[in-house]
Amino acid sequence: MTVSTNVIDEGRQLVISIKERFDFSLHQEFRDAYSHYDKPDTTYILDLSQTDYMDSSALGMILLLKDHVEMNAGQLIISKPSETVNKILEIAQFHRLITIE
Amino acid sequence: MAKNQMFALVVDDSQTQCKVLTVLLEEEGYQVIVANDGATGVERYIKHQPDLVLMDINMPVMNGFDAARKIKQLSGEGNLAPLIFITSMDSDEAFINSVDAGGDGILVRPFSPPVFKAKIKSIQRISNLYQQVKNLQQEQQSDAELAEKMMSEVIEARNFALDKVSVIKKAATIFSGDIQLTALCPNGDVNVLLGDFTGHGLRSSIGAIPVAETFRAMTKKGFSILEIVAQLNKQLHNLLPSDLFFAACFACISEHEKSAYIFNAGMPDGYIISTTGQIKYRLPSNHPPLGILKTLLPDAQLSIYDTSDDDRLVFISDGIIEARNEQGQLFGVERFEKAATAGAAQNAIVNNVNNSLQDFCHNMPQEDDISLVDIPCTGWQSSAQTSKVVIPQSINNDDMYDDANPSWSWSMELTGASLKTVNPIPLVMNQVNEIEGAGEHWHNLYTILTELFVNALDHGVLGLSSSLKDSAQGFSQYFNERTKRLESLTTGFVSIALRYYPFDRGGKMVVVIRDSGTGFEILDVIRDNSVAVESGASLSGRGIELVNQLCDTLEYQNAGATVTASYVWHLPS
Repeated sequence: MTVSTNVIDEGRQLVISIKERFDFSLHQEFRDAYSHYDKPDTTYILDLSQTDYMDSSALGMILLLKDHVEMNAGQLIISKPSETVNKILEIAQFHRLITIE
Repeated sequence: MAKNQMFALVVDDSQTQCKVLTVLLEEEGYQVIVANDGATGVERYIKHQPDLVLMDINMPVMNGFDAARKIKQLSGEGNLAPLIFITSMDSDEAFINSVDAGGDGILVRPFSPPVFKAKIKSIQRISNLYQQVKNLQQEQQSDAELAEKMMSEVIEARNFALDKVSVIKKAATIFSGDIQLTALCPNGDVNVLLGDFTGHGLRSSIGAIPVAETFRAMTKKGFSILEIVAQLNKQLHNLLPSDLFFAACFACISEHEKSAYIFNAGMPDGYIISTTGQIKYRLPSNHPPLGILKTLLPDAQLSIYDTSDDDRLVFISDGIIEARNEQGQLFGVERFEKAATAGAAQNAIVNNVNNSLQDFCHNMPQEDDISLVDIPCTGWQSSAQTSKVVIPQSINNDDMYDDANPSWSWSMELTGASLKTVNPIPLVMNQVNEIEGAGEHWHNLYTILTELFVNALDHGVLGLSSSLKDSAQGFSQYFNERTKRLESLTTGFVSIALRYYPFDRGGKMVVVIRDSGTGFEILDVIRDNSVAVESGASLSGRGIELVNQLCDTLEYQNAGATVTASYVWHLPS
């Protein structure tokens, strides 16, 4: 599976990890990873440490995740983006919108 | 589907079988063509292009499987040409072989006439569906081609100075999600936009039309780049779903200020490159793409870069640096910069980048839209002036007018907080255009109004000293201080009044701008400026000097808190 999820800290954290390419082909899979999760006060961690490539539609998908998180009064953190991915996040200035660690 | 007469081809070496099938098919409304061996069957298929083929398996010259393969090959991918095998071999093998050969169905003898007819109907249903999909596909293709034609004609053909701007534009699909715009400002500056909607194809270019309209209309009315960016952001935020957005870089190239004002929202670095092939500045993204946030970030501002003669401004979309070769390597920033700077020295940035990109990618299919815009930072004024009217040194005696009785007058006053939020110049220009119509001669009026208003606001109301701008460092200090003072502004005013006097061929506009400041030593400033401007040393004061050149008369009263400018133009006879 390219998209994997992991619930930790007694359900207070949902970790979504993406392997290899993060692009439009993951649209449905990515949405399925979080859409059923509606527990308030959850921290959503998007782990991009193993993502080697990301395109602009992936940025769009992250924005949809952000909408979902905000609707459920949660918090979104992008975790350890790889160098290539970080470059793309930087060009899009996503650190102004989302916490990146 | 709408064909009146359906044709069926029966291929069977038994005359009796052919007759039986012909009768049944005729009852179903088909006109029947018969062949007695596989080879003849293929020939007849080519000649008559039937809607249905019935094929025996064991035949002389060419058996049914081979004939079926030929027919399927001939009809190609775009055509179903439904084909049914008719056989007495009731084995798994016969069934599998017939499907392998391209058969769409198999009927095993003996069968009753109703079963045969039912089979024909079911095959025909699939064939109809197939045809429908094909028609839809063709329709979509021609729609997309039409839309593409409209887009490029409506949007990009109306760009300003197409002859001076070099571009690369290659769409990944018919439709490009990239958009390139240029437009002329009322004061002769040039506004440029290179943008990239998320994804590509029709879905992503849907926003291009409102973007182009807004960009052009606001540029024409004299709004600043930042105001245009803010408006586009708002518009796209309302228009686009959350996962669609618009990365774009903007530039306002001001030849008379020798500067470029840049706003880069989510695009790769832009460049200012000298003719010697040096990268003078990289112009990095400093704001998220447009359409994501409801309003621009509070610290959003333009970056100002000084330009000199023959510098080129280059914007690119990510399609260039992310283009891949057969080994899966990216073209990358380094290769791009090398090609662009080498090209700059030969005045052929576009060609050089294009060639380098082609050498690198060979015949790899293009994954994303590729765009590049290459624009000179000079050479605009001469082109604008060819269509501009000449300002006479003095007023002709024929042009008698009554100073006391203008044809019309109009005024507005902005106070305190409204000075923070309202840019009055587009409003004023709008009034002028509404009453007197549009015209080239208003370009100069726009410049005069802008410079005088900014002076009144900055030096009068906000009390900023222009000497701050004397160094490049002070420039940004000046703008920071300006933003700070403007933010806390609650009192003060600037009033703008116009009086218009028509001539036979031309006219005079008297502009009076008053501010609530205490004035300044205007003579000293002008004297200092003209010395500094002549020696090319001063970064400030270009504005007043320019206004002075454009105006017939320019007078300061109230120690500089009131300025009266009179602008005269003659239309060419």
